[in-house]
Order: sequence, then C-alpha cells, then structure tokens
Amino acid sequence: MEKNFIIAGFGGQGVLLAGEVLANAFMLADKHVTWYPSYGAEMRGGTVNCEIVMSDEEVSAVNKKDLDFLVALNQLSFDKFLPKLKKGATVIANSTLVKKSQPIEGINYVFAPLSELATELGNVKMTNILSLGLLAKELGFENLELLEQALDNVLPPHRKNLLPLNFKALKLGYTYDLVKQ
Amino acid sequence: MAVQTFKVPDSIKKDMRYSFCPGCDHGVAVRLVAEVLDELGLRENTVAPASIGCSVCLYDFLDIDMVEAPHGRALASATGIKRAHPEKFVFTYQGDGDFASIGLAESLHAALRGEKLSAICINNTTYGMTGGQMGPTSLIGQVTTTSTMGRTVENYGYPIKIAEHVALCDGTAYSARVSLDTVANIRKAKQAIKKAFEVQLKGLGFGFVEILSTCPTNWHMTPQQAHERVRNEMMKVFVPGVYKDITANKQD
Amino acid sequence: MAELTIGKKILTKGNYAIAHAAVLAGCECYFGYPITPQSEIGEYLSVKMQEEGRAFVCAESELSAINMVMGACSTGAKAMTSSSSCAVALMQEAIACACTDELPVVLISVMRGGPGLGYIYPSQGDYNQATITGGNGDFRTIVLAPSTVQECVDLTYKAFHLAHKYRNPTILLADGLMGQMMEPVEFKPYPYEEIDHSDWALTGAKGRPARSIKSLGVDVDKQCEHIKNLFAKYKKIEENETEWEEFDTEDADIILMSFGSPSRGVKSAVKELRKQGLKVGFFRPITLFPFPHKRLAELAQRVKKFVVIEINMGQMVRDVRLAVNGAAKVEQINKPVGAPIDVETIIEEVKRMI
Repeated sequence: MEKNFIIAGFGGQGVLLAGEVLANAFMLADKHVTWYPSYGAEMRGGTVNCEIVMSDEEVSAVNKKDLDFLVALNQLSFDKFLPKLKKGATVIANSTLVKKSQPIEGINYVFAPLSELATELGNVKMTNILSLGLLAKELGFENLELLEQALDNVLPPHRKNLLPLNFKALKLGYTYDLVKQ
Repeated sequence: MAVQTFKVPDSIKKDMRYSFCPGCDHGVAVRLVAEVLDELGLRENTVAPASIGCSVCLYDFLDIDMVEAPHGRALASATGIKRAHPEKFVFTYQGDGDFASIGLAESLHAALRGEKLSAICINNTTYGMTGGQMGPTSLIGQVTTTSTMGRTVENYGYPIKIAEHVALCDGTAYSARVSLDTVANIRKAKQAIKKAFEVQLKGLGFGFVEILSTCPTNWHMTPQQAHERVRNEMMKVFVPGVYKDITANKQD
Repeated sequence: MAELTIGKKILTKGNYAIAHAAVLAGCECYFGYPITPQSEIGEYLSVKMQEEGRAFVCAESELSAINMVMGACSTGAKAMTSSSSCAVALMQEAIACACTDELPVVLISVMRGGPGLGYIYPSQGDYNQATITGGNGDFRTIVLAPSTVQECVDLTYKAFHLAHKYRNPTILLADGLMGQMMEPVEFKPYPYEEIDHSDWALTGAKGRPARSIKSLGVDVDKQCEHIKNLFAKYKKIEENETEWEEFDTEDADIILMSFGSPSRGVKSAVKELRKQGLKVGFFRPITLFPFPHKRLAELAQRVKKFVVIEINMGQMVRDVRLAVNGAAKVEQINKPVGAPIDVETIIEEVKRMI
C-alpha cells in the first residue's frame, strides 16, 4: 500500500520541515518513505511544497499524478493542488489563510484556523506542526509518540529548546475539535 | 691540486640533455631551480606539477616526482598535492602563457588563498613551443606570428605585469622579478628562487618569481641580441625588483 | 540534518548521503565549486572535512577543482569533487587526462537540465557526458548510477573502491531528484579493503628513481602500447564489475529498461503490468560503464522488445541497441528534462506498444 502527501504553503511556513518530520515518523514506523521538495527559484516568495510517499514496499516514484493527502497552509497551495486529489482523499487547510469552500466533490475537507491557533500558542511558526497534529488524527495515529520522536530527530541541537512548544502544537492539532468549530 | 669548478646538481637527472633551443634561458632557469633544491635538501621530498609549453619536459630534466597538469592548471594541481600532503615541498615552473593567460585564475587564486606553494614563471613575451605567437606578455609593438604588424594597444591591449599582480594578492609572501641576462642577475635570480622556496618551507604563504627570459628562436635573434632585448626593451616594461617580501623587515 | 551514525537508520537527502559516504570511504580531500542541485555536498563537507582534519578547498572554478583532485590523486590520496551538468562540461579535458594518467579521481555528477544553463530540475541528459565524455582521445570512465538514497551511499563507497582498484576516474551519476530527495538510509562502515599505491604514487623520489605521471605521448609506439594497456584494463573492468538489477525477465516478452531515479517508476509500471497479466520484465544497469552488454545480448535472444525509458531524448538507448544488435526490437519512451515520467503514463505507452 502506498500513500502520498503534499504539504504546501508560503516560503517560511515550515512546510519542508513539516514534511521531514512526517517522513521521519513513517521511517520510525518501519515504513518505506521518500521526501521530495520543490526547490530553486520557487523557494522565494511563491509557494513551497514537498511530497512524501509512504509505502509498505520500496517507494516507487515521486512526482505522483494524484494525491491521497494535501496539507495546504495558504490559499495558493489549496488552489494549486486541490485538483490533484484522488476521490476520497483528504485536504487539511489552514482556514486562517484559506477560504472555506468545497469546490470539488468527493473530498474530505478539514478546515482549521491553524495560524490563529499557533499565534494563541505563542508562536505563529507552529502552524506547520499544528497541521501535522491534525494529519495524525486523520491518519488514525493512536498517539503522537512517533511524531514526537520524529521532531526530536529533525530539530538541530540549537533548536531542541523548542521541542516542548512543538509537542504542544502537535497535541493541539491532534485534539482540535473539528465538530465544535 | 684539482679544484672542482663545475658540478651538475643532484636534482638534475644524470645523462640528461636539454631539449631547449640553443641560447634559451630555460636551461639556466632549470639549473638554478635544481641548485636551490639541492641546497635546501628538498629533492627527495618534492612533488611538483609540470606545466604546458616549453616547460613541459621538466620531468625529463629534474630528478624529482612530477605530474603533468593540463594547460594553465599547474597551481590547481599543486594545491591538490599540497593539501593532500602539507609536508611535501611543492612548486610549479610555468611559462607566462600557462601562468598568466590560460591559467591566470588558478595562479592568482592560489596566491590569494595563500597556498604554501612556490611558483616560477618564465616570461619570454611569446608562446615559444607553438612557434612564437603573441602571448599575454608580448610587448607593445612586438612582431609575432599573430601580431605580424606589431602588437597594438587598439587591437591587442596591454601586456600583463605578472610579479606586480601576484604581489597584490594578500596571500603572497614573496613576489619578485629577475632576469638572466648577466652573471650578476643570474645570482640575484637564484637568491629570489631560494626566497620563494623558503617562504613555503616556513609556512608563510605563496612564493613567486617571474624570470625575464629569452626566446632566440622565435625572436629571430642570436642569444646575445636576445639578452640585449631583455635589457633594453623588456626591463623597461617589466622592471626587475622585489615587489613583495613579508620577511623583509624581520630577523630570521 | 540529523546526526549521521553508523548502523542506525536516518532520514537524509541524497546529497548529504553522498557527502557523508565519502567521509566514511576515507576521502582525504574535497575540492569543489557550488552549483545547484548538488551544493549540499560541498556545504556538508566544508564542516565535516575540517572537523576530521582533512582537506577542503572552495576552488575558483570547476576547472580548478578537478585539477586539484588530480593533483591530490597523483599522490595516491582519496580525493573527489562534485558538480553538475554544465559545470561537469568544464571538466572534460581533465577527465580525459586523468584517464590516461590513471588517476583515481572520484567525480560526483548530479545531473540538472540542459543544454547550456538549462535549469535545476532533474534530468538524465548527461548519460553521454559521463559514459562517452567530451574529453579528447580514447579512454573510458567508470560510471555508477544510483536510484535510491541508500544506493547513493553504497555506490559512493563503490566509486572510491573502483577508482582506486583500477586507478581510473569514476563518476557517480545521480540527478537533481536523487540529490534533493530524502529517504531512510543506513551507513555501514566502508566495506572495501584499502588499495596500496606505493608502487606508483608521487611521494618524493626518496630511495627510488623519480616518477613522472604525464599524458604527453611523443613516442607513437609507446603511446599505442599505453592505450592498448588501458583498454585491456577496461576489459577487465567489464568482466569483473558489471552490475545490474533485473526481475521478471525469465519469461518476459517485453523488458522495460531505465537507469537512475526514473527506474523506480518503471519498476512500479512493470509490477502493475504483470498484475494485468502482461509478460513484462525489468532491467536496470547500475554500472553504465561497464554496461551490461553481455546480459542484454543473452536476453535479446528470447525477448521480443526492449523499451528504454529515459529523461533525455535517448542516450542509453544507443548502448542498448549495440548490445541487442538487432536481435530484438528496441523502443523508447522519453521526456527531455524534468521529473521522471509517471507510472500511469509509462503503463499506457507500453500497452500501446504491444
């Protein structure tokens, strides 16, 4: 079974890092995984995205035609990648920056004001990690252990002091009440 | 009592015959390099790149380990050797075309990096091996096979003053220009080579000597006329002297 | 990036994997000039090599970098450079020279789009540049093509091994996709024995005659002999070192072929076509030189068709045609530059060819 993800947003929203954390979590779960970034001139100003392919077998290819999961942290990413979603696929969208709309049928839309929640948490830079918490819930993760360990793997030594805040953000995303909103 | 008045340096290969044209200053320059290698006891600890041009056959004359670098890349090759083996003595012996035209980037960057290397550049104002074409050091007015009406500024620009350029590089410890036109100047040339070698041995930086040399064949001159040209024409543009010596005011 | 530890799986980029593998392979000197999509190699090594007390130089050009590598290799040292496409083009003279000089140069070539400046997206446009090269004269380079990040590690080890075992320039031919993608990898200790270079390396003429390494070949008879010896060596390399991956070829009517990162999608396509009941096999050369001519010639006796899939307009396909020598049909699926062709498109195209 192969599942593929795109995490996309503005440069500076930490989409590459979020992707790396997710890929690490899959690695820790003994899955085959490949992470592939958009890179180059796109990095400045425009949208940045990375693709993560998780599989029980050797990962075939990146640059997939269609997607199982999309995390869109801004409107541009939402508009750009939504048409690539398979029927029944899930999009997690940052409703702080993405208008709540459901332009394509047959897709599981998950809207949450991620940037606002991150700001409330004390750091808007946690938007990306919050989205991973939501994603973990959608993926049916029983807990956040793998993602926490993955964060520990990915954050460089001089950023380890941010781990508690990152864990908080993960948890907030994971436990966010989608029904209440 | 027999007195030895002439001895072939140990660093010159036995039974070797120069393949340089008669009267060419390369022979004198190579011998000076060999004498300095002997005097500083460097022969057995030297690894040196050969360069392209009349200097290419250096490995046929010098009894040292050598690797031939592609045209212009001698100081890149030397950098590779020295960085792999900082304990080895590494020097280049290049013509002005190799050092200052095709290899100018490699040469100046080696100096700028302050590589612990020594470089000798033979300036004879022409491409000797290929038959006397205009080179980076050809003088204004000089007739060559590619400037048959004489080098004009309008068409060809100016000759490069190599020792001055090298001296401008902050990594250079020593840069001098010498000539081989008189016995006294040959002695001075040897001292300059020694100095350029010593700054490497002391780890001070890049050591450089530009040697004004003759090319009687391509200049269409006798060796004597050629040396007169060095004195009367070349030295006016390429003024001999020490352009940088960071050891100058220090006690040894 | 995460701490790279031997024996522990970590998630890392192809470029970092190559760089760290070089360190573990005992690379003593790195000389390089930045170019996307491989700059992480130099960035990583700028720190690591200095930590390890090894040589690292930011060269003034690729021309200079490859010549620095040659200088270091002339002393028998393990040295390498890394670059990409239009900049590897600058190194062609040196590569030819290093081949005839028999210097153990290791070159990491991470392909980007061309010709000319092209762009930094992935490509396989430099199959010819690596295997045939633009250098002058008659010589061969050893070329290894990884298709996973783990292979980036394993084949970097192998590149150092083969370069030093055969005293021959060896190119690791990756692409922008390989360089930029992250996958879990495990770094094992360098698995090869160290090669003794004391009989030829330049170390100073102490207690032995002076040595010279040169490409100048004035004497035509000697030059003929030298080049014949080189080609005898290449034959030995072909016999000993040819490496490839194949599956489902035993009963295959059609074999899909690809090298490097696009072969991953091709592999999936083969598996899917098999599920659909089609007799399709997979073949991936891992060494591009030596190319698996012999095995392909064998397969061509019973396979009806080879389909060669490349992100170029057809470069490896020439080697396939030579190997097959008319015994089977050879067809192509190509895209000039960019990310690999997706699996669905390959499947469609192959079905159309049946």
